[in-house]
Amino acid sequence: MALDLDAVSEADLAAKCSALVAWLRANGPVAVGYSGGVDSAYLAVAARQALGADGVLAIIGRSASYPAEQWATAREVAARFDVRVLELDTAELDDPRYAANPSNRCYYCKTELWSRLVPVARARGFATVVDGTNADDLSDYRPGAQAAREHRIASPLAELGFTKLHIRHASRALGIPTWQQPSSPCLSSRLPYGTEVTRSRLRQIELAEASLRRLGITGDLRVRFHDDLARVELAPAELSAWLEPERLAALTDAVSEAGFARVALDLRGFRSGSLNVLHGVSTA
Amino acid sequence: MTRSEERGDRSARNAVALGAAIAKLGVDCALEVRGGLALLLPSPTGAVALQVVETRRAVLALAKDHGFTHVAIELPNERRRSSTPPTDASLLRD
Repeated sequence: MALDLDAVSEADLAAKCSALVAWLRANGPVAVGYSGGVDSAYLAVAARQALGADGVLAIIGRSASYPAEQWATAREVAARFDVRVLELDTAELDDPRYAANPSNRCYYCKTELWSRLVPVARARGFATVVDGTNADDLSDYRPGAQAAREHRIASPLAELGFTKLHIRHASRALGIPTWQQPSSPCLSSRLPYGTEVTRSRLRQIELAEASLRRLGITGDLRVRFHDDLARVELAPAELSAWLEPERLAALTDAVSEAGFARVALDLRGFRSGSLNVLHGVSTA
Repeated sequence: MTRSEERGDRSARNAVALGAAIAKLGVDCALEVRGGLALLLPSPTGAVALQVVETRRAVLALAKDHGFTHVAIELPNERRRSSTPPTDASLLRD
């Protein structure tokens, strides 16, 4: 991934990083809701460097909506930067309000996550629990943010004005491999609202995306679930290459093997919140 | 010339006009409607036409003009020859 070096000034980034260190030292020790995504990986490593090994605990909430590939990344980053990790199982799929997949599905997921994580963190002496919400997230439709507020989760990256681009730059400076990792929301985000979230569907999506990654797709990627049809969204820059007949056949095979009867390629390419647009929750 | 068959849900989106407009671009395909998604089922020549980025941009613009938020092309799948479109979909074919 190429970063736009002009879009973030070095002075601005340095000031934000200093402010983050100050915030962490004022509020630590911290438990981080940790997925191994770009944001939480940066926050966990920054906290480790600011507070020392005992000052941070990264807590992973594991469920069927959390891809195994990302779990592996989360563990790898934590091990590399000596961040202590605790893993908890979450059971959001057992909540019918979540499984029904309403437009505020993320609220039920995050409620389940924080309900389990916060008591565990507090019992271990971590009064402050933080997440990786960034400043860009504040302008998006994020019902999960309400659950975070209800559980008094702090979001220092958003609070200090870190955008995703800031976080990628800062991660690269620290040598965190996730700096160039595509954004990776949970697998349930591939299901249109109102389509029931089941373990088998999540598994099907996960298998399809993992197969496509093995074909060499490195940028943004989503396999959107439309019952019998998988609609594949690729980064627009990668689209032309994958429309060549041989690669198209490989792509189709990879997705079909995951159990989809029909495979389609989105002509516009990856859009964050694509299904929100399709179902009128947000605008294009 | 466009021959069309439509079944199931008829939305306010103008699928017939979109199918005709895409045909005018020289893209030979059938069109299946799934809500705001226009699903193109291109013939082999239609698939070749859609490899051109300008053609894809034109299709996207037409789809937006006709009320669709998403356009996708179905990929030929040798593993699947027996399945049929869902009953709630609209299908238009040149």
